[in-house]
This record gives sequence, structure tokens and C-alpha cells, in this order.
Amino acid sequence: MDGFLLVLWAVRLLFLGLIYLFLFRVIRALLRDLRAAAREPADRPGRLVIIESPGGEPAAGLSYGLDVITALGRDVNNAIVIDDPFASADHAVLTYRGRSWYIEDLESTNGSYVNGRRVEGVAPLGFGDELQIGQVRMRLERGLR
Amino acid sequence: MISDARAPVRLPPLPGAIGPIRPRPRWLEFRLLGLVAVALVVGSISLGATVNGRFSLFDTQGLLIYIAALFASHAAQVLAGRRTDQILLPTVALLGGLSLLLMQRLPQDLVTQTLFGTRFGLAQVQLIWLLSALAMATTIGIVVRSDRWLRRYKYTWAAAGVGLLLLTFVFGMEINGQRLTLQLGPVSGQPSELLKVILVVFLAGYLSENRELLVEQDSRVGPLRLPPLPYLAPMVAMWAIALVIVVIQKDLGAALLFFGVFLSMLYVATARLSLVIIGLILFLLGSALMAMLITHVRTRVDIWIDPFADPLGAGFQVVQALHAFARGGLLGVGLGAGLPEIAGRPPIPEVHTDFPLAALGEELGILGVVAILGLYLVVVERGLRIGAAAADDFRSLLAIGLSLVIGLQAFIIAAGNLKVLPLTGVTLPFISYGGSSLLANALVIGLLLALSDKGVEPPPLPRVGSRWRRIGRRGAA
Repeated sequence: MDGFLLVLWAVRLLFLGLIYLFLFRVIRALLRDLRAAAREPADRPGRLVIIESPGGEPAAGLSYGLDVITALGRDVNNAIVIDDPFASADHAVLTYRGRSWYIEDLESTNGSYVNGRRVEGVAPLGFGDELQIGQVRMRLERGLR
Repeated sequence: MISDARAPVRLPPLPGAIGPIRPRPRWLEFRLLGLVAVALVVGSISLGATVNGRFSLFDTQGLLIYIAALFASHAAQVLAGRRTDQILLPTVALLGGLSLLLMQRLPQDLVTQTLFGTRFGLAQVQLIWLLSALAMATTIGIVVRSDRWLRRYKYTWAAAGVGLLLLTFVFGMEINGQRLTLQLGPVSGQPSELLKVILVVFLAGYLSENRELLVEQDSRVGPLRLPPLPYLAPMVAMWAIALVIVVIQKDLGAALLFFGVFLSMLYVATARLSLVIIGLILFLLGSALMAMLITHVRTRVDIWIDPFADPLGAGFQVVQALHAFARGGLLGVGLGAGLPEIAGRPPIPEVHTDFPLAALGEELGILGVVAILGLYLVVVERGLRIGAAAADDFRSLLAIGLSLVIGLQAFIIAAGNLKVLPLTGVTLPFISYGGSSLLANALVIGLLLALSDKGVEPPPLPRVGSRWRRIGRRGAA
């Protein structure tokens, strides 16, 4: 009978041990996940994904990491060059102020559109909003992780 | 071209709901589920050896069905090929397995139900609920690819929630002095479990739309800088609803949970400590008022302060629970070795719904209790990570709110069992007996799984002409 109790005691401890082994495995996986997230550059406050671009420059599907101030336009000196006949040379500028993004139209000929509405002066741009310059449609998204 | 820009914006085509099947292996989930299965088998052997005196599984059939269901869920997710979270399911599976072992070990006549002419005891009913919950979480995790049905109809959901609450007020049955259960024909359930999910959906929608306003504008009241007063109205309404729940439903736990979730989500959305402080002050005022005016609440507080004043009457449950924890000690007395029943009744009344943690604390010791709390923490951590990686505010707030609901609820009832807070009647998620609780929490897990899939569908565009946008244009003008 003593042997039985001893084995039972071992089984009980094994059960607790297995639960802790599970926790240990899970926490290791969580830590790995967090470290992987920390390794990726998180300094970009947002990114711009090109949805549609008839001219092919920039190509649809491209994703640009955004700096705090990002200029857009047809001129090659812009951070994001939009080679589109309807875009002005210095078309618009995206700025990150405080905790949100703003778009400023630089008095372009054909205007910039947020969710289909023309931007006058400075307008806030939320994550998930769609920006259209010329025929190029883009979406603002969070920086990866 | 410019006229084009004014046309309604087309979203990129969505991936079809049923496409070609591209299985995607989920090895982490598989390994963790294997570990869960081994742990549960060992636990069942420990239970069987204690109760029957020989080393064999305690309830082979029930346990094997549960483990098979876990792997079936895993296989379904592999086949679906979505890149969803792989840690949530095993974690919740372990909690559910502990629940199954506990229910198998408690007296089976605590709950009996007759289905199709067969009588089912506590463990079998709980197993049926666990399987339904698993099926629900898996289905939602696989099928839900769009959050539009939640995002767009947030006021509809809120109305449904209030309607549910009113239904309970009017038609609810009073059980143990709490008006919680709603019976519609043969189906009965506790709406407050579903209500907590609806609340999170509504808050996520409301806060993500009005976040800018709450964060950036100020109105001064005395020394405090507050968001514009009209936007505080929901906060006051929330407070009032919580009070009404306490007064009419006598459901302290749900009120505490709802208000706690509300304050946490408000803080997550705005990062304004002033709101949380005001909320806490309101909360303290409300609690003091309730404790003075309402007998039911005062009894709970009196029991909390000194359960030994009336150890055989009002304080009986809490005193028995404390004794159970004390008997458990560091390692516990072993599954099945706790005091099963005194004169045919479990020593702690309502042990299967309100005090499963006390029963597990007795049998697994403080090490077991800490491990269980650790599992809840893992669920919360996953929710926060999913929220942090989400594509927009609504999904962030939804994921964070959903996981906080589970975490807070576990905290409230665990603290109640341990006499850290006054005892309330909420369930311990995934462990307590009860269909409403299991299904509502499965809904939460399913939604978290669906949210954790990155980039299936981009979040929809904000509605043109929402309040947020009007302010923006006014600022620009």
C-alpha cells in the first residue's frame, strides 16, 4: 500500500509539473514572439500602401515606410515619387504630428483626395483612410508592429 | 479623372469565403495541445487512483472525447489555412480540461439534465457545453474574415444589449437572490455573459470613432482638464447602467466587470488618467451609496469584512472556501482527495459555478492556483499582442477589450473566492459549470482568433461625413 501512495504522490506532482511545463512552453513562445516583434524596426509611424497605380510608378502593392515628414509628387526629389500625369511636381506632404497623421495639399493643380473628398489646406488622415493623388490610390496603414 | 475621385471608393476584391483549400501547418499549436493531452491524462490517472484505488483513467470516455475534439479543432484550423494565433486554443483547452476533471470529480447530481430520454450528470452536461464551446470558437476563428458586421452596426448591437438587459429585468427568474437567468421556452441562459461581449463591441466602435475628440479637446472644470462634456455622457450612462444592474438584478459581479472593462478600454483609447480617476471616484461613490442603501450589497460587504461573524449562515460559503484553500496548502491534497461532500452535499455550496477555484485550490494547492491564474494572464497577453498588431483602432480596441473581459472576470471571481474582494456571482471563465458562460467566452476566443489573422481584409474606410471627419474639415477651413 505504501508503494501505491508513493506512486500516487509522484503522479500528483507529475500533473502539477506538466501544467507548469505547459506554462513554461507557452511563455517561451510568447517571449520569442515579443523578441521578434522588438527586432523589427518599429520606428516608422506608418506606411503607405499603393492600391492602384495606372502608370506603374509607383507600382501597385508597394508599401512605403513613412518618415515623420514625407513629401509626395512627380518631382524626383520627393520621398515618394508619383509619376502620374495628373500629379503636380510638389503635390502634397504627409506629416506626423502628436499622435496622428495629417495631409497637406501643396496647392496642386488637381488636388488630393481623402476617401474621395478633396483636401483643402491641412486635413487629418487616419489609419485605413484612402488617399488619392492623380490616378494613384494609396492607403495609410500602421507601421508593421 | 477628378470625377472618378468623387465616385464611391471601391475596395480591393475580397478573398472568397470558400476558396481552394491550402492547409497550413500549426506545429506550435500541435505541440502545445499534445502537452495538454498528456497533462490531462496524467490528471485523470491521479484522480482515478485517488478515488478508485488503482491506476486507470477516471472517466476514459469523457476525457478521450474531449481530447479528440481538441485535435479535431486543430485539424480544422490547419485545413482552413489561416494565419491565426496558435497559443490561445491550447491555453483555453487546458483550462477547459481542468474544468472537466473537476466536474467529473464533484457529485454528479449537482446538475442533471434529460436530453433525448437519457439522463446526463454534471460532467456529461459540462462536456457537452465544452464541445459546443470548442466548436463555436473554432468556427468563428475560421469563418469570420470581416469585422464589418460588428463595426458598422455598433449602435444596433448596443440597442440589442440594452434590450436583453430589459428582458432580464422584466422576465428574469430570481435564483439565490439574483435576477440573472432568462428563460425563453426550453432555452435558459444568463444574458449578462453575452452582454459583456456586446459591451466591448460597442465600446470599441464608439471609442475608435471618437478617440480624437476625447484626446485632443479640453474643457476645464475647476482644476481638472476634461474631454468635451458631451462626450462624457456615455461614461455617465455606463455608470448608471452598472448601478441599475446592481439595484434590479442584484448582480454585483456583472456591474463590477462592465464598469472595469469600460474604464480600462477608455484608458487604452485615450491614455488620459483623468478619465480613469473620475471613473474610480464615481465607482467609489456608487459603491458606498449601494453599500449603505441596499441590503443585498451590504450583506456581501459584511461577509467580506468578517465571514466568521456568522460562519454557519451568511459567511458559510466563504468560510468553507477559505478552509479549502488552507487544506490545499502548497501542493494540494491531490485530485479527488479534497473533501467531496459532507452528508451528501459538497462542503462549499455552489462549488461548481461560484467556487471552482476553491475546489481546485484544495486539490492542486497554491501552485495549481498560481498556474491557473498564469493561464488567464497568457490569454490576456495574447489579446494585448493581437491588439497591438491590429491594423486599425477598432480592431485594437476590440482585441484588447475582449481579452480584458476574460482577465477581469477571472480576477473578480478569484478575488471573491480568496476573500480579497466581496464575493460576486460571476463565473470563472472556462472552468465554471454553465453553458452561457462557456459559449460567451468561446465567442470571445473565436473573435480573438479571427482578429489575430493579419491582413485578410483591410479595415473598411471610415464613413464619409462621420463626426471625426467634420471636425477635420472645420479645422482645415
